[in-house]
Amino acid sequence: MSMRKQGPTRRTLLGAAAAGAAFGTMPGLIRPAAAANEFKIGLFIALSGPASLFGPTQRACAELATEEINKAGGILGRQIKLIPTDAGGPPAETTKSAIRLMLEENVDVFVGSHDSATREALVGTIKGKVPYVYTPVYEGSECSFNTYVTADTPEQQIRPSLAWMMKDKGAKSIYMIGDDYVWPRKCNEQAKKYIAENGGKVTAEEYVPFGAPNKFEEVVTRIKSAKPDAVLITLVGADNVNFNRTFAGFGLDKDIARLSLLLEENTLHGVGADSSKNLYSCMSYYENAPSAAAKKFKADYVAKFGDKAPQLGRIGADCYEGVYCASTLVTKAGGTDAKKCMAASEGITFPTASGDVTMHGRHVDKTMFLADCNGTEFNIIKTFADIKSGDECKA
Amino acid sequence: MDPLIVTQAINLIYAVSTLAVLALGLAVIFGLLGVLNIAHGEFIMIGAYCAYVTQSGRWPYLAAVPLTLIVCGILGWAVEWIMIRPLYRRPFDTLVATWGLSLLLRKIAEAIFGLGFYSVNIPVPGTVHFLDTEYPIYRLLLIAVSLLIVIGLVIWYGGSRTGSRIRAMVSNPELAQAQGISVRRLAAGTFIVGTCLAGLGGVMLAPLIPVQPFMGLDYVLRAFFVLIVGGLGSVSGLLSGAAVIGGVDSIISATSSATDGYFAVLVLSILFLWLRPRGIVAHS
Repeated sequence: MSMRKQGPTRRTLLGAAAAGAAFGTMPGLIRPAAAANEFKIGLFIALSGPASLFGPTQRACAELATEEINKAGGILGRQIKLIPTDAGGPPAETTKSAIRLMLEENVDVFVGSHDSATREALVGTIKGKVPYVYTPVYEGSECSFNTYVTADTPEQQIRPSLAWMMKDKGAKSIYMIGDDYVWPRKCNEQAKKYIAENGGKVTAEEYVPFGAPNKFEEVVTRIKSAKPDAVLITLVGADNVNFNRTFAGFGLDKDIARLSLLLEENTLHGVGADSSKNLYSCMSYYENAPSAAAKKFKADYVAKFGDKAPQLGRIGADCYEGVYCASTLVTKAGGTDAKKCMAASEGITFPTASGDVTMHGRHVDKTMFLADCNGTEFNIIKTFADIKSGDECKA
Repeated sequence: MDPLIVTQAINLIYAVSTLAVLALGLAVIFGLLGVLNIAHGEFIMIGAYCAYVTQSGRWPYLAAVPLTLIVCGILGWAVEWIMIRPLYRRPFDTLVATWGLSLLLRKIAEAIFGLGFYSVNIPVPGTVHFLDTEYPIYRLLLIAVSLLIVIGLVIWYGGSRTGSRIRAMVSNPELAQAQGISVRRLAAGTFIVGTCLAGLGGVMLAPLIPVQPFMGLDYVLRAFFVLIVGGLGSVSGLLSGAAVIGGVDSIISATSSATDGYFAVLVLSILFLWLRPRGIVAHS
């Protein structure tokens, strides 16, 4: 080993010092240089409004993925910088933020965990100029240009769980109740096909205004007199809690099973142990999902954020896979060029909170869990392995 | 009789009576003091959190009542003293000030309890066979308690010395002051009664709904509709407003859909504001 290789020579030291001095006298130059090298992810999560109870988890999970990727060298050698942005207000407000992020921050990728009304508005605003990864649980058929979906689809979530409900639990007549917007209505359209496939019938389909101060005494009374075998619930958040508490309060939980399509840990806490009998949920992630990956994810999460970390659930854990999806996609495409990303998306494999998934048709095939509510915890009673998304978008 | 019709009829009575109690505190503060208390819903929320605290402390459910009266009483006193007193007779300013207060109270609740949902167990669970149908016992109890609160307040307001002093204050504050009535203390007391009534409404409803910082928003809107339709400053106005808003919503929700019910409530409120801004029971 020669002397020259052991350390910097006097000449290189001098050079470095000169360069340092030059930069030191021009601090304005350093920052843009460093910022230009960062990989910026605009993260659309709920920071305000009723859905903001998911915000802390969404942010924490995205930060966990970011930390892991940055430690391993970042995306194409660039360190990720998350820009959490509110998507909890009206869609029009969120689109304004999207424009600002594109023009002022020059974000490289968008990752979004929010409702479908906001997604439709964002797709119309971003217009495929920046890759957009959509992550939570949704109604299917999003094939817009340069848009990538890791969300649970009806084919993955509703089809297997309804088939189980109808075959194993013997439910033949299904009552549908949901909030009045795009996700519940499209989910119910899909569900009607699955119910017909299993030889059942839809007793009634009913919606309550989304975002209005709803109460459910009248709805529950109507369900009681319709006597369905099961209720398919596409209510979200407080409406979901409110409905389920009223349903059990009227004593209907004994005879009528309930399958809720957006029931995760936070919502179940609100429903409470006294109202969660005979209530089922189906998603790709639960805090106690029985996979090695899910256990490791939870351990890493607790190690980073401590015991008082925000409650884990599908809405939140989805941001972890969103950041990984963006990272894997851009790395394979060698940049954020839309056409290259579209071509690269087919077949990429990336980690989620409950194990690796592979992207096909800009959607992912994944393993789903069916859970029975046991008090305020989920008891996984069935695992549906490697379910196809059912959505094939052109790459 | 058809159990469906019976149950929907009880649902209607339940909707109207709970709505009357939820609007009562707002009616007292708005009707008697002329203060538009936008933070009314947040006092309902505080009552609901008091119920949750009572439950997690493993105290009997009724302990939530004194707890709420203390918390909402002290808060009401402080708010009246600091914020409302300089703004009497400036209704629009009180609206803006209490709107700010509602944001602050929501953030405080968020800081203490977080944004998550809490559920409070129903203190009297189960259903009872009643008029050919099964109806939740707790909701039947709520109907009775709501009626008792409204009737009790009416009797007290009409019959007690304090009641007559408040009436004197409302009709002519200067003359009341000259008669040796401490208008300032009386107004503070009235405001506190209003906030405590809101808190009690929260305690009553807490077992039926998700307890969370945003819950107050749902109730303040309906309470305002009740006052718009019913008119200010009288019990008959309050009751007729609750009957129209709660009744129309309940009947249309039962016969058609919840969307139509809510639509009807909005249309009614707009029509009243437009054509009969003083409400059903106009108060001079």
